[in-house]
Amino acid sequence: MRALWVAGVVAAVLAARIWFRRRRARTQEPAPTEPPPRLAVSTAARRGPPPSDAHETTTPLADVRLVAVREVRERVRGRLFKLGTVFILLVVVAAIVIPALHHSSGPTVQTVGVVGRLSPEAARALRAAGVQSQDRVRLVRQPSLPSAERALRDGTIDVAVIDGAELVLSQPASNASAPADPVFVHSVAISLGVLRAFRAAGLTPGQTSIVAHATPIPVRALQQGTSSPHTAVSVIGLVLLFLMLTQYNTWILMGVMQEKSSRVVEVLLATLRPIQLLGGKVAGIGVVALGQATLIVGTALATAAAVGTNALRGTPPSVLLGQLCWFLLGYAFYCWLYAAAGSTAERQDQVQTLALPLSIPILVAYIFSITVASSGSPDLLFRILAYFPPTAPFCMSALLALGLVTWWQFLASVLITLAGIVVMARVAARIYGRAILQTRGRVRIRTLLSS
Amino acid sequence: MSPQLELRGLRRSYGSVVALDDLSFDVPAGEVMGFLGPNGAGKTTTMRAVFGLTDLDAGSVTWGGVPVDQPARRRFGYMPEERGLYPGMLVGEQLEYLGRLHGLGPRRATAATGEWLERLEVADRRASKVETLSHGNQQRVQLAAALVHDPELLVLDEPLSGLDPTGIDAIGAVLVDRANAGRCVLFSSHQLDQVEDLCERVAIIDRGRLVAVGTVDELVTAGARRLVVRVEGDRTGEWSRSTPGVTVSEVSGGEVRLVLDGGVDSDAVLRAAMRAGRVTRFSFERRRLSEVFREALG
Repeated sequence: MRALWVAGVVAAVLAARIWFRRRRARTQEPAPTEPPPRLAVSTAARRGPPPSDAHETTTPLADVRLVAVREVRERVRGRLFKLGTVFILLVVVAAIVIPALHHSSGPTVQTVGVVGRLSPEAARALRAAGVQSQDRVRLVRQPSLPSAERALRDGTIDVAVIDGAELVLSQPASNASAPADPVFVHSVAISLGVLRAFRAAGLTPGQTSIVAHATPIPVRALQQGTSSPHTAVSVIGLVLLFLMLTQYNTWILMGVMQEKSSRVVEVLLATLRPIQLLGGKVAGIGVVALGQATLIVGTALATAAAVGTNALRGTPPSVLLGQLCWFLLGYAFYCWLYAAAGSTAERQDQVQTLALPLSIPILVAYIFSITVASSGSPDLLFRILAYFPPTAPFCMSALLALGLVTWWQFLASVLITLAGIVVMARVAARIYGRAILQTRGRVRIRTLLSS
Repeated sequence: MSPQLELRGLRRSYGSVVALDDLSFDVPAGEVMGFLGPNGAGKTTTMRAVFGLTDLDAGSVTWGGVPVDQPARRRFGYMPEERGLYPGMLVGEQLEYLGRLHGLGPRRATAATGEWLERLEVADRRASKVETLSHGNQQRVQLAAALVHDPELLVLDEPLSGLDPTGIDAIGAVLVDRANAGRCVLFSSHQLDQVEDLCERVAIIDRGRLVAVGTVDELVTAGARRLVVRVEGDRTGEWSRSTPGVTVSEVSGGEVRLVLDGGVDSDAVLRAAMRAGRVTRFSFERRRLSEVFREALG
């Protein structure tokens, strides 16, 4: 996991450097020293500068960047995208806030007024009860019983302990409006009763302390546990991975199909190579996808921190980073497949037909992974699928969150998937190059794959 | 002056259908060249071959003697037969984007977009989506997309189809201006009258083969002589049918358009006409481009 962190930091630094370089190059672009050439001229005297001056030197990557920037701009500008993002964010926030609100319906701080003597064992028992009921316990000394009763009526304290032998409440704890947490009150009553029984049995304070703080004996299970501290993270991550991969790959499919059906692809390919156009589209939508995913995950983390939910608490950053890594790899693998499929379609109604078979491996891997994430016990087949590029994004992601994978297994799966991405990109570029300009007649698979 | 485009021995078959059959011709700079042929003759395939949009079985496309590659195509402008623009993208942004793809810097692309939209009288639609434009305006924007980067070679597939006379005049004027600016202009059309007005040179192909090429003047003055005769009271030109070597090509508005074989004495034709009635017109004329076209296709 440490290696993963280092790789992530290095990648971020490299990306930042490239961005700064490009930005600097852009700002240093010389302003035109003369007005743009008059393009519409009818005499030699009105001719613009020689054609060679009218064009700047560009690189293949610069073209890919132009395509990607257009893709990002058009996607982000779309009303559907804006509404969809807001909707997803609302759902994510609601999914975190509502359970937290429900969970936090009782008091989180129990102020206990202490009247008379309270032994150290009794004080510890109060705090232990607070841990059990998930309350924070604050002890406040009260000079007398009347003063404690006043404090109870004022609401300054929630519970009063009289000489460690009696609990006094302003109203029954079972009342919905009672300030005292009934679980806490019940737990304290039992603990203090046990301490009193120890003393009545003739135990010295030292013996009472030993008995009261007995260490629990170890518990051993014959079968492995069925839950993990990161089960919630795993399930949430898999759901997001599934939703995003499905959404962004459909964008690719639709985008390629629309470029073909509107015939704009013919204009574009008159100056671009197919791989540049395809690469720009994939990169552009990938940037939007990453941005949206980051926004969603960031909002989820911020909301979780704000409402104090423990759903994500304790999750190592390496798990979150690993899931982000698998999101990117999953997108990089499937985007080519969807792009190739989009190039063979020409009408909207063909999109569903094409998308369905492509989504089957995603759906199978998703269901399989969700099942394993919930049970926490992957079988051999699942572990094998974690190294198979079409299913690795889901399976390895689940194994990672469950803590059932070593760093080298993770790395091996990443490398195999990267190799799969390269193969998929080459095949997709070949199919795309052959199919995208074929607008008449059915596109035959044999023709597309023939050498 | 731009270099010229040279097409040499282009061959392309789709299964048993031969689209291009050893097609060769040049597109010189500084002239508007019309590219004619019946439907399915191979015009679109030829134009797509210039841009690498169709694979050739044989032959070469060179620009100034050098095989056309991607950097060269960046300096070409193309208007495909089936118009292609992003329907939901703003007109101005679309042209700037295409200008950038052809190598213009951002400022230059913006300025050129403004100039071309102004020139083609669609400047007020710069912030409109393409899909909201009328057919004619979409056609103008499509032409602007081919011109925005000041291409050295302009290849337009049926740029005049579906346009009203105003649109035809506007686009025609632009093509002539481009040629006057020293650029290569090649465009296909079925509107032969417009081609005759706009072009200095034409190439005619049929079933993928070149059947005629040359300047319009050369083509219309070559071949058999054309004689237009009006004889009062004659509506059929029947009188000419007895004269050997004379063929009636067209009868229209009381005038008979005759095609004379090489050895025919025009005085004999005049005498035959006078015998039929009072001759009010007797003049030699150039061939029309439509006649050249029909004759070339056999």
